[in-house]
Amino acid sequence: MSNELSAKQRTALTIGVIGIVVVCLCVIVAAWAGQSVWDNLRARSGVTSTGPSGWDSAAAEVTVAVSPGMAATLAQLAEQFNAQARKTPDGSLMLVRTLSVVPENMVEQSLANPPFQAIAPDSSLWLNQLDRRWVEKQNAVEGETLIPIGNRRFGDPVRYAASPVVIAAWESVARGLGWPEHDIGWKDIQQQATADATFKWNHPSTGHASGLLATLAEFYAGAGLTRGLTEEAATAQTTLDYVRAVEATVRFYGEGEDVIVRRLAAEGRNFLDAFVAQEQVVIAWNQAQSGERLVAIYPAEGTLWADHPLALLELGMPGEAPITDNQRRTYQAFVDYLISAEVQKQLLGVGYRPADLDVRLDGTGSPFTGDAVDWRQPQTTLQIPPASVVEVVQNVWWYTKRPTNVYLVVDVSGSMQGSPIELTRAALHAFVDQIRGDRDQVGLITFASNVNLVRPLQPVSEAGRAELHGAIDGLIASGNTALIDGVWTAHTELATNGNPEAINAIVVMTDGRENSSRQSLSSLQRRLQQTQDFPIVIFTIAFGSDADEKLMQSMAEMGGGQYRRADETDIEDLYKIISTYF
Amino acid sequence: MERTRWIFIGILVVVLLIIGVSVVARIVTGGNAPAEAELVLVAPDTITVRVLTALPVEPWVRDAATAYNATNPTLNGVPIKVEITPMDGLTALGRWDRNDFGALEAGKTLENLTEAEKAALKNFPTVWIPDSRYLVELANASYKERLGRDVFLTDGEYRARPIAISLFTWGIYESRAAVLEQNFGGVSWNIIHDAAVARGGWPELGGDPSWGFFKLVVPNPNKNAGGLTAMVAAAGEYYKRTDISVADFTDPQFQAWLRELMGSVTDFSSASAYTAEDFALFGYSVGDGGQLLESDLLQNMQGILTRWDDPLKIYYPQYVTWFEFPFTIWVGPETSALEKNAALEFQRFLLSEDQQKAALAYGLRPTNPNVPLDATAESLFVKWKDRGVELVVPRSDAMRNPDREVLLALLRWFQLNVAN
Repeated sequence: MSNELSAKQRTALTIGVIGIVVVCLCVIVAAWAGQSVWDNLRARSGVTSTGPSGWDSAAAEVTVAVSPGMAATLAQLAEQFNAQARKTPDGSLMLVRTLSVVPENMVEQSLANPPFQAIAPDSSLWLNQLDRRWVEKQNAVEGETLIPIGNRRFGDPVRYAASPVVIAAWESVARGLGWPEHDIGWKDIQQQATADATFKWNHPSTGHASGLLATLAEFYAGAGLTRGLTEEAATAQTTLDYVRAVEATVRFYGEGEDVIVRRLAAEGRNFLDAFVAQEQVVIAWNQAQSGERLVAIYPAEGTLWADHPLALLELGMPGEAPITDNQRRTYQAFVDYLISAEVQKQLLGVGYRPADLDVRLDGTGSPFTGDAVDWRQPQTTLQIPPASVVEVVQNVWWYTKRPTNVYLVVDVSGSMQGSPIELTRAALHAFVDQIRGDRDQVGLITFASNVNLVRPLQPVSEAGRAELHGAIDGLIASGNTALIDGVWTAHTELATNGNPEAINAIVVMTDGRENSSRQSLSSLQRRLQQTQDFPIVIFTIAFGSDADEKLMQSMAEMGGGQYRRADETDIEDLYKIISTYF
Repeated sequence: MERTRWIFIGILVVVLLIIGVSVVARIVTGGNAPAEAELVLVAPDTITVRVLTALPVEPWVRDAATAYNATNPTLNGVPIKVEITPMDGLTALGRWDRNDFGALEAGKTLENLTEAEKAALKNFPTVWIPDSRYLVELANASYKERLGRDVFLTDGEYRARPIAISLFTWGIYESRAAVLEQNFGGVSWNIIHDAAVARGGWPELGGDPSWGFFKLVVPNPNKNAGGLTAMVAAAGEYYKRTDISVADFTDPQFQAWLRELMGSVTDFSSASAYTAEDFALFGYSVGDGGQLLESDLLQNMQGILTRWDDPLKIYYPQYVTWFEFPFTIWVGPETSALEKNAALEFQRFLLSEDQQKAALAYGLRPTNPNVPLDATAESLFVKWKDRGVELVVPRSDAMRNPDREVLLALLRWFQLNVAN
């Protein structure tokens, strides 16, 4: 066999090589053309690329997380803005929605994949915390940068209103303290509360600016300082003892001034003598209510401003949809709207100090013209410690506040089978996680056809928390609804094993109607009246549309607590909110 | 004909058909060459000049941009549009330093970028107007390490040119200033330090007890370049020198003095980038006085008078620091030659006599020597003369700009000792 190829073989080989080259060429050209056709088809069909999650790349809707106290006002302004039907250059409708979020939670949620694009907490304090936590998070991933500036989770914030935090008091109470002739300070309120057992005052939880400030003021007073509060001074035993004594006089904790005002309206003048709130609350109350008016006491040692910043989050981390150009346009248009002369006057009308300095506070028709509030005040502010000290104060507060004994009374009747019991378990887990005080105790009682004391009161230590979580995981739904017996058992347990120095409370939830108890509502009421010297507060939650709302409302009223409705979307949040009362 | 030849001809026909159909499809669909790529090859519809602007000059530059755009400017027949983005100088420096804007790596050009990379450059700044020239030098130093060259030129056609000047001055509420003048003879960093450390607060200083402690206002250096400048000015007065080194800043005695001074600031955390606006919005409740930019104080003077019960008084320090707001054009390949030249056109507009006069209404000192400070009735230097503003700065010592090492030492010190 010859090594040389025949002419026929050479021709076949040549054709083969040419064929392979040509086929490759065809593939390349077809891919080039195909890409063009595909892109064109995509463009014609209106398909737009979407981010990793959330919204498409042309989205023009912005959701703003707003602190609860400002939520109603900002929602109304957003509605007015939306009614203008403004459009982006590509014709998309600009829409702003609001979402009420406690500022402390806003910070937490803003760190990763938040369900909002902009934030409007009540104070820049929270932006500072977000800054700090974001830089820590980024440094952990990327290492420290040379110029440690500019690495922020949000763009430059804008202020649209401000309001100093004050002590809101009934005029008669304020006059009794020496108002308006004498300067009144945090110390005066704290002394009054510790000296007079009938004096009822309240401040919101430290998740709100006004609650955080009131707590800071206690720490300053306890440390004998008005500035320069350090971690050492805040955690000194004498400071903690002082704060503990003052906190023991607080009527109840929980949520923001908006809830306090609602309860004040519902329960009347005797509900509280004084409470910590923004100056705007005093104006709004006096505008809306008749009867004795509230006055604003500007604490002599100094106060803090709720400065209402608004900032766009710079989203777009891995797994996050980035803010679109249209969302930026919507945000900017909304900011421009908020700081417009028209809206600034509107904000003045409801009692805020407008960010626009051209708007006079002492002009005709201004709500600042009376003497319930004073536009020349405050004269001085308390020094806000660095974020690290603020965090220490927030954490230490858990160990100084009044201890809590709370029974979670849970419906595990047959109607709770399926997603209701699953969601309830998640909500109970969230509640237990929120309770952080080392002197707090939580117990668990379930009711169906019978009552079951699943876990008696036990401290929420690491081990105690684990046991509670385990017990919650073991909840199974079946049987009838012995609701009143469940509450009765919790009350008996608290009255026997509770502590009169602590907040003693029952949080009861049901999705159905009472049909299996031996005790009646009237017998429960008699029992509560008989044990008034050992108050036990009852919070009730009606879960879903079949719950006996009337019964739940009655029980909350008898127990001096609150009644709330919940559904599958907010049951967990509701338990978290209620946990702030303890 | 042989069978193999038929096969060969068949393949050729198929190939030609595929190529033909593909070309037709490409023509019909118009291709998908991105707009960015076309910009490189053909004249764009509009030349956009994106200007990253320091906050103190932003209102003036924004109004100037609106006026400029309204003249329908063109370059080589192509319309120019100027867009303004406000950003504090130090914040922008941090972003340049981390390359957040996405400058290309050395050796890369627009032509060899993917479409996604080109799209990422869509908003790349054409111009940066920081607060001070030293920020430009710091950005250049950062890019020199990365790219081996400057990205902002300090000489030649595209060199940085100051567009306005503003000095750092003391702004003190009048009632408080009167007490300091009467009991201490004036206002200086040393007197402010003494006031800051007075354990008895204002009563000890001879003021009203309701004023509480003396409260200093200094911009937060993390949000406003003025905070750093205030610390440099304080160091100048402490050492009675205009040239401050890293060794000066790390001296324990000076650090203790500076810490005491900064300890009288009420709230760094809530301070925004707009310190003078905060000063006006929250009034004497958050600050009795501080060293701030003259233009910021003048712009907020009316607001302070409207909102608070006590007017503000301006004093000029012995050791003077200032911002000159250099108009700095990015010279890298991320922006086109047309954009760079259009930026130069806008720079000329800002330096024109009309716009320099307009700057007076924002309390800015023009760099055009032909424009006196009282050139217009709207000049804030005329309007607030009775508040202590001076047309000619009293005799003083000009501080030298800090170098990179001093800047970093100061920032780290602030982070460790004040911010946290």
